Amino acid sequence: MPSDKPILQVKALTKRFGQKSAVRGIDLTINEGEFWGLLGANGAGKTTTIKLLTGLTRPDSGEIQYRGRDFFRFFREAKQLIGVVPQQNNLDRDLTAHENLTLHAILHDIPRKLRTERIDEALDVAGLAEYRDKPVKTFSGGMKRRLVVVRSLLHHPRILFLDEPTSGLDPQIRRSLWELIQKINREQKTAVLMTTHYIEEAEKLCHRVKIISSGQIIADDTPEQLKKEIGNYVLEWGEQELFFKTRQDATDKQGTVQGESSIREVSLEDVFIKLTGKRINV
Amino acid sequence: MFNGFTGVLYRELHVFSKKAKKQIIASSLSPLLFLIAFGWGFGKEVTVDGLPYISFLIPGLITMSTLNQSYGIALELNISRFYFHIFDEFLIAPVRQVEIVLGEACYGIFRAMISASLIFVYAILFGVELIISPIFFLAFFLHTFLFATLGVTMAMIVKDHSSQAAVNTFVITPMIFLCGTFFPVDKLPAFFKGIVHILPLTYSTKVIRSSLTGGHINITYLGLMAAFAILFFGTALWAVKRVEA
Repeated sequence: MPSDKPILQVKALTKRFGQKSAVRGIDLTINEGEFWGLLGANGAGKTTTIKLLTGLTRPDSGEIQYRGRDFFRFFREAKQLIGVVPQQNNLDRDLTAHENLTLHAILHDIPRKLRTERIDEALDVAGLAEYRDKPVKTFSGGMKRRLVVVRSLLHHPRILFLDEPTSGLDPQIRRSLWELIQKINREQKTAVLMTTHYIEEAEKLCHRVKIISSGQIIADDTPEQLKKEIGNYVLEWGEQELFFKTRQDATDKQGTVQGESSIREVSLEDVFIKLTGKRINV
Repeated sequence: MFNGFTGVLYRELHVFSKKAKKQIIASSLSPLLFLIAFGWGFGKEVTVDGLPYISFLIPGLITMSTLNQSYGIALELNISRFYFHIFDEFLIAPVRQVEIVLGEACYGIFRAMISASLIFVYAILFGVELIISPIFFLAFFLHTFLFATLGVTMAMIVKDHSSQAAVNTFVITPMIFLCGTFFPVDKLPAFFKGIVHILPLTYSTKVIRSSLTGGHINITYLGLMAAFAILFFGTALWAVKRVEA
């Protein structure tokens, strides 16, 4: 179970690119072991937020603290706590799987004795043991993605940032990645902040979700609570949607509307659309 | 402790080893063409600064090729920044920026050493005698370090791949042609002489050539090379610190 010890605290984080504000005053706290989702449409500021939190981009203002210590003053210590799975696979195509992992191990100062053991374990977990000495350029998309995920865990980070970890993957591979990420969160108590635009992914995996729109967090709660706030059932007819507390209320209303209509349970996607006015997969 | 430095070198040397053959063959061609065209083409009769032209040319080619190789890491850094985002691995890792700069600089120097060795082989084949002294090694180190760190600086401040190509066209190529690789800069008109004397390659070429051909070593020039090396090390460090992915 997650603890209430914060691993990451962020206050009033902002970032501008020229005239455009990408992140406009984000506050967040992530406790050890928590699994957070960051939901937002394209361009909402998800990737910029991750880049700010991992030191790939400098904020214009605001505070970032890892375990209560300022990120920029204790840059190297904080970075030991962080694992990152970027949106694009940033593997060395010419190097083998083993060499890519070795590079990460060296950069994160994993002692030589532990290196071999951890790398072999990572290759096993990723199901890539037999591809150990093959160059990454010969790998499929799913293999590369798995390698990037296990690489990010090699130094046993306490918080893992996943930027669209399953985008563009087959449903089957996506599911196996979900299991891997859940296992790490459950067994190693690694906190996770995952951006995604697959709502069902957030609903299934995350303890809590934040919805980001135009660089601001507009909602922050458990998926269940967020849904409850707008209702439990939706009545859809034509272009319209109405939300109700009980199925009975929805059925009563259904009797009064013209044309074809249907009733279903509220999903996180309904919450998202209601709050942002946007569909997410656009 | 030096995990950043080791990591950067591990990456660069492993990638290099996969394409070493191709790269070495490619980088050996252009000095050979220059030697054939200018060395043989002009013949033994032409002398410059009291040296047969080919003896004058070879140290120039060493300086030019090692500049190309050490500065050439800029192109690779560019590809790893803009296309494959491999550079992000260095930026995310808990390493000091100075280690990234030194790791890349060492890789640049390593590439330059290979290319210099090739031209020494050419020198033997063309029957040109060169003197390899400690001063040569010092000059070679300063020369390749300053251009490698200039390469790192440029690779970090350009916004895209095409600006990198523009820097090469407008800065590196003119420098190679004007700073004494092929002819003594003293023959240039005053205006150009002024320009080439603010460019570091001029001093590199003079010192490296003098050291290899037994000429007088101008200590001021060595000092200027060291000053450029410190300057570009500083700009490289500044650029890596402010670079964003």
